[in-house]
Amino acid sequence: MAPKAMTFKANSVIYFKGDISDKIYILKSGKVSMSSEDIETGQEVRDLIQTGEFFGVKSALGRYPREESALVLNDAEVLQFTVPEFEQFIGQNTRVIMKMLKVFSNQLRRIHARVSSLLVTEEKTDPESGLFGIGQYYFSKKMYAEAVYVFRRYLTYYPSGKFAKEAANKLSLAEQYAQKYGQGKGPSISISDDSSSAPMHQTTSRQELSNVGKAYYNAVSLFGQNQFQEALDEFKNIAEQKKDEEYTVKALFEMGRCYFQLNQYDMAIRHFTSLIQKYPKLPDLREALFYIGQSYAGKNEADRAMGFYTKILSMTTDTDPIQRKVKQAIRLLEEKPR
Amino acid sequence: MNLNLAAFERFAVKFQKGDIIFVEYEPGDSFYLIQSGRVQISKIMGNIEKTLDILYPGEIFGEMAILEEAPRSANAIALDNVKALEFNRANFEILMRGNPAIALKLLKLFTKRIYDQRRRFMILTLEDVQARVMDVFLMLAETDASGQQEGEKHEFKTTIEDIAHWAGLPTEKCKEVINHFINQHRIEVEPDKIIVKNLNEFARFVNSRRKSIGM
Repeated sequence: MAPKAMTFKANSVIYFKGDISDKIYILKSGKVSMSSEDIETGQEVRDLIQTGEFFGVKSALGRYPREESALVLNDAEVLQFTVPEFEQFIGQNTRVIMKMLKVFSNQLRRIHARVSSLLVTEEKTDPESGLFGIGQYYFSKKMYAEAVYVFRRYLTYYPSGKFAKEAANKLSLAEQYAQKYGQGKGPSISISDDSSSAPMHQTTSRQELSNVGKAYYNAVSLFGQNQFQEALDEFKNIAEQKKDEEYTVKALFEMGRCYFQLNQYDMAIRHFTSLIQKYPKLPDLREALFYIGQSYAGKNEADRAMGFYTKILSMTTDTDPIQRKVKQAIRLLEEKPR
Repeated sequence: MNLNLAAFERFAVKFQKGDIIFVEYEPGDSFYLIQSGRVQISKIMGNIEKTLDILYPGEIFGEMAILEEAPRSANAIALDNVKALEFNRANFEILMRGNPAIALKLLKLFTKRIYDQRRRFMILTLEDVQARVMDVFLMLAETDASGQQEGEKHEFKTTIEDIAHWAGLPTEKCKEVINHFINQHRIEVEPDKIIVKNLNEFARFVNSRRKSIGM
């Protein structure tokens, strides 16, 4: 097997962003531009490929979708490698690998920095406090061998550091406890309140929940506590306000569930039926049908219940979780003496 | 992989089972290629030590040290008696020159790291916290190597703490969002897994919240 020589006309595309492919290219002649979107701003970024430069390497090696489109600006000649061909080729060219490693490590460093800049919620710990904190953690877990290792390292790196005295103390304590009580045993130790064990500070939700949303989740929580009548009243309220289509439909759906839980089967059936008629594209249509079926089962109308159950089965595949529930319900029906 | 490592015996280091190889925040100037035994990569988060990965012979760890003298980003602990080759920036080039196979391995490791970080970045740029949490599931589905899951429903062997970590959210906040999804019947949480009922729906929502891409 050998790499394949290929030519591309101007204005053609060698590959598109999002493609999955194991092909790697090297530009022999012509002009090829890589077009991608900046992952932060979404703006288009274009980079020209140099003659002799590889492209498509990362996505092919890593088997992930292309992150850029390769557009041919002027007629271009390229060599196309499969991954094994590429590996064989650069396996004999350590210089090329070293160059790529440098390029990749630069990219990695840059993206790393960008990720860290966004991780505002994770407290930035300086390495000195961080290292000491790990020692504290192991000590508090009575993992003395580990604690000894970490405090020793701390004292090696920071012999006159801000925790040096404490580290020396804890080091000798950890050594003593290891002797006296053994790994995993000994008195319980609470970590004193220092910066390294400070909790992550809370971020507030950037998108405040609307009042309707709050009311809705309040009602959901009532439902979760089996307070179905109270939940029903709340959902009714939300549905009648009609402030937010999303929550209106959700609340209507939940009202049906409340009726069912309150054993008001006729109400549940009527409610869900009218809901389905009004919103044929109800996202929880199958669930709604299931509740209707169960309500009929509750009324001892097994045939009608069965009708709804089989309807749901015909709408779903084996992998749908609702199938399991429906099949179980059918089994229950069949076991019930008529 | 055919590695010619006999010449590198002088770089061999041994660790006893349970030994710490390095901990997070230690300055690091070397990286390791495991020859025998397993190595556990972990991180202390809050009051628990979380295993991030378990590495086997032939795998490399601590490789970020060749980029820059940054502190270690996780703990490495010997899970068995471990023998490894220890390299630093000085002898790194010698190793690579003699063993393109290792260089290639490192190259692949870097492509994966770059992808993971880019993907992570895209999650973090989402302002809507619900979209962020959903996007974490999308990311996990993309990197699910088993490739056995098809259709709308997906199962994830993950925990809320994991999701919070990837989403860059405090665990409590993440729990809140997940609870909303549970109440909306969009996901189910079981002790050892989280089930997303309709991953396509998550994808549509996330795309609608991703600014300017494709516009």
